Amino acid sequence: MDLLFSLVINGLMLGSLYAMVSVGLTLIFGITKVINFAHGEFMMIGMMLTYIITTYLGIHPYLTLVFVVPLLFLLGIVVQKYLIEPLKDSDEHIQIFATVGLSIAMINLVLMLAGSNNFNTPSSGLRETLGLGAATVLTGQVVIMLCSIFMVGGLHLFLTKTQMGRAIRATAQNRNAAQLMGINVSRINMVTFGIGIACVGIAAVLLSPLYPVNAQTGQSFVLIAFVIVVMGGLGSIAGAFYAALIIGLVDAFAGFYLGSSLKDVAVFGIFLLVLIFRPSGLFGNARKLAHVS
Amino acid sequence: MNNKTASLTSVRGTGSVIQQLLNKKVLLFVTLASLIVIPIMVGDDYIYHIFITICLFAGLSTAWNIVGGYAGQLSLGHAIYYGIGAYTGMLMLNAGVSPWISMFVGAVLAAGVAVAISYPCFKLHGPFYALASIAFLEVFHVISLNWVGLTGGANGVMVPLELGWSTMVFSERLPSLVIVFGLMSLVLAVSWAIRRSKLGFQLVATRERESAARGAAIRTVHVRLYAAAISAGLTAMLGTFHGSYLTYIEPESAFNLTFSIQIVLFALVGGLGTVFGPLYGTILLVPITELARGWLGSSAIGLHGFVYGVVLILVVLFMPDGIMSIFQRYLPTSKGRHVDARDEKSTHHVPLNDVKKSERAPVGEVVLKVQHLDKHFGGLHVTNDVSFNLHKGEVLGIIGPNGAGKTTVFNMISGFLSADSGSVEVLDENGHFISPKTPGAFARSGVGRTFQIVQPFAAMTVEENIMVGAFYRFRSVEESRKVAREIAYELGLSRFLDEEARNLPIGGLKRLEVARVMAMRPRILLLDEVMAGINPADLREAIELIKIIRDSGISIIAIEHVMQAVMELSDRVIVISSGEILAQGEPEEVVKNEAVIEAYLGKEVTDASTE
Amino acid sequence: MLQLNNVTSGYGATTILHDLSLEVKEGEVVTIVGGNGAGKTTTLRTVSGLIETTSGSITFEGEDITHLPAHQVVDRGITLIPEARQLFSEMSVLENIQMGAYRTAAKSQYNQRLEEVLTLFPRVKERLQQRAESLSGGEQQMVAIARGMMACPKLLMFDEPSLGLAPIVVSQVFEVVKQIAKSGTTVLIVEQNVNQTLKVADRAYVIENGKIVMNGQAQELMGDDHIRKAYLGI
Repeated sequence: MDLLFSLVINGLMLGSLYAMVSVGLTLIFGITKVINFAHGEFMMIGMMLTYIITTYLGIHPYLTLVFVVPLLFLLGIVVQKYLIEPLKDSDEHIQIFATVGLSIAMINLVLMLAGSNNFNTPSSGLRETLGLGAATVLTGQVVIMLCSIFMVGGLHLFLTKTQMGRAIRATAQNRNAAQLMGINVSRINMVTFGIGIACVGIAAVLLSPLYPVNAQTGQSFVLIAFVIVVMGGLGSIAGAFYAALIIGLVDAFAGFYLGSSLKDVAVFGIFLLVLIFRPSGLFGNARKLAHVS
Repeated sequence: MNNKTASLTSVRGTGSVIQQLLNKKVLLFVTLASLIVIPIMVGDDYIYHIFITICLFAGLSTAWNIVGGYAGQLSLGHAIYYGIGAYTGMLMLNAGVSPWISMFVGAVLAAGVAVAISYPCFKLHGPFYALASIAFLEVFHVISLNWVGLTGGANGVMVPLELGWSTMVFSERLPSLVIVFGLMSLVLAVSWAIRRSKLGFQLVATRERESAARGAAIRTVHVRLYAAAISAGLTAMLGTFHGSYLTYIEPESAFNLTFSIQIVLFALVGGLGTVFGPLYGTILLVPITELARGWLGSSAIGLHGFVYGVVLILVVLFMPDGIMSIFQRYLPTSKGRHVDARDEKSTHHVPLNDVKKSERAPVGEVVLKVQHLDKHFGGLHVTNDVSFNLHKGEVLGIIGPNGAGKTTVFNMISGFLSADSGSVEVLDENGHFISPKTPGAFARSGVGRTFQIVQPFAAMTVEENIMVGAFYRFRSVEESRKVAREIAYELGLSRFLDEEARNLPIGGLKRLEVARVMAMRPRILLLDEVMAGINPADLREAIELIKIIRDSGISIIAIEHVMQAVMELSDRVIVISSGEILAQGEPEEVVKNEAVIEAYLGKEVTDASTE
Repeated sequence: MLQLNNVTSGYGATTILHDLSLEVKEGEVVTIVGGNGAGKTTTLRTVSGLIETTSGSITFEGEDITHLPAHQVVDRGITLIPEARQLFSEMSVLENIQMGAYRTAAKSQYNQRLEEVLTLFPRVKERLQQRAESLSGGEQQMVAIARGMMACPKLLMFDEPSLGLAPIVVSQVFEVVKQIAKSGTTVLIVEQNVNQTLKVADRAYVIENGKIVMNGQAQELMGDDHIRKAYLGI
């Protein structure tokens, strides 16, 4: 019973971490209809920035949010404006290559600059363990869990209660009609991409004290993020959150019972089953692919 | 017949075509020869290595292009098949079997895996197919890491140290170059042959417009599975060679995502879907990155990856059609000539008098029975108890306001939509009534249709578009080409034969729809608004054309808004309004029907005319 | 107020409008009638900036708006109520109406305008919290019109508002168009339902193959043979 409890807790912790990484990805797809293959690399860049700023300024890693999030927001806007937007009328495969190319370029740029070394952001006490009944968790994990809930809730409020949020949803549901309302659709796409990348920036800062970062870090997270985003129903933020928790649990249980090396087979196996049998995700239906929040 | 020969030569400009073929052939020959000659002349091991790498990737990219380019299935997991080939070769070599044999075992294995993977994934489009292929690659990667008993796990496998042609392991580089050059040539030859075969046409047609391809009775799933299997088999053969060449393989390098992307990158840079694009793309990119590595030293890890990433971004932004599109520009061809609407008129050299007018046969027996069709979309009753018969040699006009459900009825009598209830029966060639269910089955039973929103295979030429239809009746490419030209001539499309369909004006596209369907030699022809958008001046000829088709004994159902055409062509007219048959009968009677006038013009017109 | 001078436009390589010219004066109700594929919808989409004009010019209140992007055209005071409604189907009716008032000039008048619109459409008022897709076709058309009105446009363009609606609903829609015109908004309307439209309109243009072939007072055109011919071939 204790084992089960501790696996569940660990699964949920892992799941909320995955949720943070995936939320931006699903938001970007929901609005711009672009699958951002470079999403993980934005996170890797965010973690690198966190490491650099923390070590050079000697501040608490969480304080780097002030720098990292706006920087990534701007980076997202630049990418949308100069890479994605010019390709909006191109074939799907061209759009895929654009972000795939971006991903390769970013990974290898970091490899050239920093080599394949691991960088450890100072943990600043966030790797202290907390007892939670039979389970032990890290302080940083609890922070991530709380933040992921705030993030999903905050995005939901933003999308439903603000003028900008409504404009974003309107654009996702009917781009043509949105233009006819006077919405500047390319600006909305830029802001959305920026927000999506800023979200992964928040995830990067919170992850940094717990995980070392290297040029390949993004890759290992982004595949899981794709799994989650498809399972949750592309574009659905709430769906991604639940899917992330499920995948977190699968990860924890498969890791324990199958061993850490085989757990990926379980995760990707589930992914392929979902993709083939329920391409619209576990919670949505096909018609609502544009569904956001 | 003078007209015909004249228009054909004017299109082809015979002299320049030969010249251009020569140019391209010479370029290809020189390129291929230099891949062998240069390293032998230089004699340096590093240069050998670069050229072996070029041949390897040129082969891999060309093989990928069969499924990724021709069929448009964007696989980012092709390293699976490379890895299968490499491991099969390596393990069998350790068991004493020569790569010359295991190469084929690997190919068969990979082809099998490709079919198993591709079949469930074909319903996924674009990015989803790509994601699925990545996930499969990841699964293979993890399995190869963990199935230590078979693969040696993370330690990998080495070749037994036994040099010679039978093991494909050499101390010198030249034999490896010869082998990989041979394999690459094989892949190029296969790819070239496919592009020119019926399969190639069907693959491209499926990629360009799946629904229209199904309408042309192409088994769209089958042809893509063939392509996937061939592509995977060839990839595996190259993998077997490369394993021996490297003398060592491990999961990290055999089932590698970056490696997969590299294969795709070369094809993209060269030109997706072109036969030799991947070859030229590889030749351009591999040396650049190798040279850069030379200048900056091997310490610069990540450099070639960075170059690839940047090249990929630049290519999609500025040269999405690849190097081959530049070749097209500088080796001018008759393609790519822009045609604007004003040219359209001059294409109407339809020598109506030349076409032998047979006497119209009397309207015959029932060939199509439509009974009690019903269809709901959500809460909307779009088709409500629609029944009618079509007789042999008859033209049945269907008219009605926008949104009345005419096209829905068409979709149900051509298999693109299934009815909630009711039946559609077609008289087949043997005189039995059958109930086809799929677009393919309808096509096989002799029903051909056009689409209201024209569905050309945009990247194919007019001739190729029509050939896709002709393949349904004719096996050989040459025969289909001949039929396609005849039909193009009949429909006044001769001048556009070599034009890509996307450059045609709307009137031309409408005629191309008809031409593609006619090439299938249907017995029942469904025409969905083929007259819309045609200039009034050209209307006359379009009407005459349909009369010729009718007189050849084909039964026609035409949805049409152009009333002049409806009145002149139809033997009978059915009026559909709000999903129901409002009236039917002879055209003159129907347009006088008050309910019909009301449906079209609004109620008060009838009031006004009676006042 | 609105002038199209020799406008040519289309989709990709396909040209639909050829040298088309027309004008709408302030306070008028103008209609464009014509067969399927004649270019009616294309005309409206070109004016609203959804389709790029290849040659010719469009001016609105003396300003050249030929190459403005769609959202800036809306800012100038031209709103198009598109064919087939195009509501934001997964948003509530109220949210749809709020989106209508996105343009800056409309925001200050939001409350007053909302009241006006809801008085005009009592059915819509009952369904403010429902998802737009759960409404019937007629109700959706009403929401689309309400959404368009929320922008407080100077020129309101209707693209086939009667498409796919039951006859009784069609009459209601035209009644609404009449009221909007009466309140002083200039209206440009494209319709298949020629007769109903001509009754509402002041002036009409007949379009064929992307060209204006005829224009005049709506009353005069009503009994015209050419129109009957264009539609029924009699």
